[in-house]
Amino acid sequence: MERKYWKDIDELKETSSFLESRDQEFPVENSVEEFLSDENLQESSAGRRDFLKFLGFTVAAATVAACEAPVTKAIPYVNKPENVTPGMPTWYASTYYDGNSYASIVIKTREGRPILIKGNKDFGITHGNMNPQIAASVLSLYDSERLTRPRINGVGGSYSDLDKNVISELKSAKKVVILSNTIISPSMNEAILNLGESIGVDKTEHIQYDAVSYAGIRNANKISFEGLTDEFTGSGIIPSYDFTKAKTVISIGADFLNSWLLPTQFSGQYGFSRNPDGEWMSKHFHFESVMSITGSNADVRGMIKPSEQKNVLSFMLKAFGVNTGVDNKLNPITKKKVEEAISSLKTSGSQSLVVCGSNETSLQVLTNKLNSVIGAYKVTINVNNPIHLFKSEDEKMGAFVEDIIKGTVPEAVIFYGVNPVYTLSNGSEFGKGVQKIKTSVSMSLYADETASLCKYVASDLHPLESWNDHRPVENHFSIAQPTIRPLHSTASALESMLVWAGKAKRAGKDSKVSYDFIRGLWEEKGFQDPSQDKYNDFESYWNIIVHNSSANMIGVAPEEVAFNSDSLKSLKFKEYPGDREIVLYQKAGMGIGLQANNPWLQEMPDPMTKVTWDNCITMNPVEMDGYATTFDQENGLNLAKVKVGNAELTLPVYPLPGQTPGTIGIALGYGRGGNGEKIGKAAYQTKEYGGYEMNENGNPKPIGQNAFKLVNISNGTFSFSTSGSIERLDEMYPIAATQIHSTVMGRHSVVRETTLDIYKSKDKQAYNPDHTLQKLDENGHHVDAPMKDFDLWDAHPVEKIGHRWAMTIDLNSCFGCGTCLIACQAENNVPVVGKTEVRKGREMHWLRIDRYFASDEEATIGLRKKHNKSKMEWFADAENPALNPKVVHQPMMCHHCNHAPCETVCPVAATTHSNEGLNQMTYNRCIGTRYCANNCPYKVRRFNWFNYPSYKAQAEINPAQDDLGRMVLNPDVTVRTRGVMEKCSMCVQNIQASKLKAKVEGRAVTDQDTSSACGDACPAGAITFGDWNDIKSMVRKSADDKRSYQALEEIGVKPNVWFKVKVRNEENKELDALQVVKESHHQGHEDAHGAGHVSEGHGEHSNH
Amino acid sequence: MFRDISKWCFGALALLLFTGPFKAQAQGDALFKAKCATCHQVFKDGTGPKLYEVRQKWTDGGAAEGSIFQWVNNWKNAVAIDPYAKTVSNWSETAMSAFPELSKEQITSIFDWVDSQEQATTKNGGDPLSVSAVEQESSLSWAWIIMGVIFVVIILAVGGVRRQLKAASSEMEGKAIDDDMTYTDELKQWAWANRKVVVVGIISIVLGLVVALFLSLYSVGLVENYQPSQPISFPHSVHAGTNAIDCKYCHNSVTKSKSAGLPTVNVCMNCHKQISGETPEQQEQIQKIYDAAGYDPSGAGRYTGDTKEIIWNRVHVLPDHVYFNHSQHVEVGGVDCKQCHGDMEKMMETAKVQTIEDLNKVEGNIQLSKTTLTMGWCIECHKEKEISNGTLDTKKDGYYDEIHKRLMDGDKELYGKYLEDGKVTVMELGGWECAKCHY
Repeated sequence: MERKYWKDIDELKETSSFLESRDQEFPVENSVEEFLSDENLQESSAGRRDFLKFLGFTVAAATVAACEAPVTKAIPYVNKPENVTPGMPTWYASTYYDGNSYASIVIKTREGRPILIKGNKDFGITHGNMNPQIAASVLSLYDSERLTRPRINGVGGSYSDLDKNVISELKSAKKVVILSNTIISPSMNEAILNLGESIGVDKTEHIQYDAVSYAGIRNANKISFEGLTDEFTGSGIIPSYDFTKAKTVISIGADFLNSWLLPTQFSGQYGFSRNPDGEWMSKHFHFESVMSITGSNADVRGMIKPSEQKNVLSFMLKAFGVNTGVDNKLNPITKKKVEEAISSLKTSGSQSLVVCGSNETSLQVLTNKLNSVIGAYKVTINVNNPIHLFKSEDEKMGAFVEDIIKGTVPEAVIFYGVNPVYTLSNGSEFGKGVQKIKTSVSMSLYADETASLCKYVASDLHPLESWNDHRPVENHFSIAQPTIRPLHSTASALESMLVWAGKAKRAGKDSKVSYDFIRGLWEEKGFQDPSQDKYNDFESYWNIIVHNSSANMIGVAPEEVAFNSDSLKSLKFKEYPGDREIVLYQKAGMGIGLQANNPWLQEMPDPMTKVTWDNCITMNPVEMDGYATTFDQENGLNLAKVKVGNAELTLPVYPLPGQTPGTIGIALGYGRGGNGEKIGKAAYQTKEYGGYEMNENGNPKPIGQNAFKLVNISNGTFSFSTSGSIERLDEMYPIAATQIHSTVMGRHSVVRETTLDIYKSKDKQAYNPDHTLQKLDENGHHVDAPMKDFDLWDAHPVEKIGHRWAMTIDLNSCFGCGTCLIACQAENNVPVVGKTEVRKGREMHWLRIDRYFASDEEATIGLRKKHNKSKMEWFADAENPALNPKVVHQPMMCHHCNHAPCETVCPVAATTHSNEGLNQMTYNRCIGTRYCANNCPYKVRRFNWFNYPSYKAQAEINPAQDDLGRMVLNPDVTVRTRGVMEKCSMCVQNIQASKLKAKVEGRAVTDQDTSSACGDACPAGAITFGDWNDIKSMVRKSADDKRSYQALEEIGVKPNVWFKVKVRNEENKELDALQVVKESHHQGHEDAHGAGHVSEGHGEHSNH
Repeated sequence: MFRDISKWCFGALALLLFTGPFKAQAQGDALFKAKCATCHQVFKDGTGPKLYEVRQKWTDGGAAEGSIFQWVNNWKNAVAIDPYAKTVSNWSETAMSAFPELSKEQITSIFDWVDSQEQATTKNGGDPLSVSAVEQESSLSWAWIIMGVIFVVIILAVGGVRRQLKAASSEMEGKAIDDDMTYTDELKQWAWANRKVVVVGIISIVLGLVVALFLSLYSVGLVENYQPSQPISFPHSVHAGTNAIDCKYCHNSVTKSKSAGLPTVNVCMNCHKQISGETPEQQEQIQKIYDAAGYDPSGAGRYTGDTKEIIWNRVHVLPDHVYFNHSQHVEVGGVDCKQCHGDMEKMMETAKVQTIEDLNKVEGNIQLSKTTLTMGWCIECHKEKEISNGTLDTKKDGYYDEIHKRLMDGDKELYGKYLEDGKVTVMELGGWECAKCHY
């Protein structure tokens, strides 16, 4: 008996379209013949016979052409840089910060080109964690639509003209506003001060503004705790949070594993506290509206509306004897869960943490009170080490925006790291105001929504091209060093600021202005810090800092702070008068849209909805009466119009289980560049055979719609939840979602989970039973035997000799964030295929993350509860599986089976097994029969349908079609051509490199050498990779763990990938019952069998 | 002919009469190259002064007897005792290295050898650049064409004579002259008369063509003898041969990286800052290096900073789907460069893809049969080449010790099979597996 797992409503209900797509892995309606005779295809409007003629000619031409080897050039360096060896990677430690994401990173460069980003595991506060956006930023570096030189009045100009004009205009202006995102760079802050001094301190104002603001937390902390203020802005602080010490984590809508504050730090901390083998495992309660990545990992997930957040907090406070007078009415289901959370809070006391995702000051005050009552400020919250990110001054910004729109504008505005025309709800009016500003200067990388309206654009450098320093939290400083010479004739924003402040002169591409300034500042300030006294001189200190990319200052431990109870008196909460509450959230890939032009991120399936190349309205399927709720690739989903005040958005409605009824969710970051701005080629909707879809103004249509239009200021802060109405349109909209691609054909034994109780108290057989088959023993009796006793084929000798490369994936640590997917794409040159091809199930990702919803409704497939209810009644049922299901994220890639079914069916031996356990794919041998993919039980093989690096349908989106974009390709991995199968190689190029390194150094291969791109990228360390034959290796220990199992072990393919049972820290009677039944069933089976054995034995005896 | 004989006689005489001094000079030659050539040249000042007739110079300058030997052993000792040596030490700021290991006889042999050299301008022989490959192939084909034309003319002429004769004989015999009969008709007639021969002939021609087609298809993509033109006519024989510069000095990433690396211009300049060529041809080629490096050799010699790259044409080009790593082969496998690249010491020009016959002629190479740079060639070598003679632990390498241990513990029988021929080959440890080179 097993729990049922399903990826989608279609699968749950087994709709006909689902069954069809499941059974037809390669849809016939899109055959190559039909494609080639497609009349829409102007260039190849050729019939079948013509095709054969072309084919014949091509073969002949290729043969002739092949006789003459093309001459390839080789250009050696004139002066070889000291640390570059052609053909070998060089790694640099650096730091990534784009105003929204922050992480310490290491960058792999080849011949001076950055090609891969990993988290820095050794230094920095993020401990090797990053997110998909940071991993993908290496591709944004090579975007060919970046500004290549400064612009004056919309046309290219020179820095000398620009500097001359800007300096004189700034000096003569009566008021100058510098509008930037949060600046965490000490040097940039210093430069801005310098600029202010040179043009007059009184007339300069610096406003920091973040597209997604956390001003509510700062305001609340200022009110709640007297004396805790930020030294620069005078606002309150954001303390640092320590999830590693929190035995109970309660999150009210804070998606802290994906977007909230500093997820690159929190996800690692959270992963640490989720170890079921540790002393304790944290218990995570989550109350939210849209099913988020964090919510999907919670032990207990409650569905609340944004307006109910205050009720939850108030209810909990009441349980601790604090009467706030705030409404604390809750529905019974939520109430039960909140009560459970309270009892957990009471048990863990100060070793707890409550976080709230809202930007509402009053909600954050309630959160502070609750944390104060439970004593969290002594343990899990540190006000002495505040976070310096997100210093958005919402009220100041609000006033500034009004000024601009009214036309009472300052004479000069410098925009740095902000794009308010896109991120403000009244962006277009703001844009009109910007055009009236006498001196408007932007430092954007692109001629984006705001920059295209500015008089001067002094384009900044990409974070991988420039020197910078950062102070993400009070006690930590970091350095960002360039890993490539600036690609274009642009200069860093820091340099521009210094030039305008009269502190430096432009020095072209090899400018050392920023470097000298940062170094000077560090010598003056950083080196004075007493924690640096182990260094003799500044030179050695600086070299170490740049090498490591960061420096820690001496920190102060958390200490209790007195809560100012007056702050509870003047609470004001946002009203939600509309009939639908709307939550604006950030997707793991798109975030706030900074890299909307990044095709890797656009094609990355959203961890929850699995939608690519679009944003949608998410709605709970139980209330989608009249909407298309099944996932239909051909017709798509219903469009609906969302209205909030004057703002309107028309988007498809996507059924997302777990969405609070009465609410909808819309992702931010889409709809960029709709007015013909040049923000990158991949940011727009493309047609099926290439070219852009155009909107009514003749501009390319952006992907999705801009949900920032729905943001408004409420009680002094930007609010990311609101209310309005939704109206269903009859129009349908096709979307590309990968969730029902590559199903496992109902073999639900791929996922195993248990509860912490069972895990701790029962033996392995209860939660991770061995698969057994029956066989005849020597007496002709049926006996149970483990899977390893059965061999369909001769075994490959991988367990005895040399290496056996293997991987384990801990389902308990995998949050489903998708960073591994992007890292894999970058490492292995995985092509981008575009929305049309994704809709046909032809995405090329070697690694996919299956997101299963799990319901207790059905114990096992085929045993669905009989009921006579209609479909809608069934949905309306509170016990409905689609209402608030459990979620399991499972990365799935080639399992490198030692008895691989794919290998035996290949007619040309293009896929073979190595004696190191790898399932090898030889592209130049493959003739594309696709038998192997049909035979793969895990559905992880990908067929390369087109010559993606040159086919015109991918011209706008595939980086390999662009001279600059091609620079991101990994030169050690083949760029596959049309007509071959491809799949995960376990990063065989890294395996070979690590073996070579060991051989050169004359030692055995160790864990330190081996890595896979996905394992390196995983923020929570869920993926372990190494040599299974090395008994000391991590992967061997992990694979031998009692939680380890192999997916579909029963089919006997003997894979080299292990999963580890997911352990939930929850009370789940249904799951407990299932697993105890399993145990007793197993036991009973043995007993029954034993009895049979005895009786048969008797029979035999009697025969004698 | 006569000149050759006189050379012969001279050589024999020299061998007979001057064996002693000849030996000493050979020693001087080797010592000069090993110890002095880095800084000194024979006829030209470089880092150090020219050495031609330097003993005479010292004597003329009034140096103390024998102080020149002390100078070579350790110049500071000479400076201490000899005022002339002190003036010599001011020649350049760069101090000379000490060579205490050189005996007086050895130093003398060096000077003897240096003084026996002749100025390059007075001789032409032995200069590799003046020996240009004679393009015989094209003249050969011209000869064929001319011969072909002559044959056709002869055939036509003979045919005409034959027809005339035939006509004449018919006339004599009084037969009707069939003037309308064309060559084609005649051919048809003849073919019908000899149909058996014609059928067999046609079949064999078709078969021959098919065989030829297949053979030519098999040769598609073969690059043996591929030798593209290069921007600089670089004589490997002078660098690797005469001067015995180690391959790894210029191709220095060969032990570290997958690519052997073309020498970067700064590596060329290490030597060519001093060596600017003796003949005009050499100077012209070396000037190209100066242009690339942005070096102005006139006067004191300085870098202008105006560099430009040298664009070479790649000789050994593997397809994109093949991964080849030089350090794996050279550093780990201990394969000599010669195994794949042939004897570059004798290569008068830039590299070419050597034929397998040429590679097999090189002493010490594993004998292979497949065409160079084909996959068959690679895997043939992987089958032959041993990782170790005997068991893996005799290799005294931590990596292979571990593999040895695993085989001993895991599958002794398999290991035994590997060792049947007394060695563990690359193939036996997986050198024939696809993903070793294709990914």
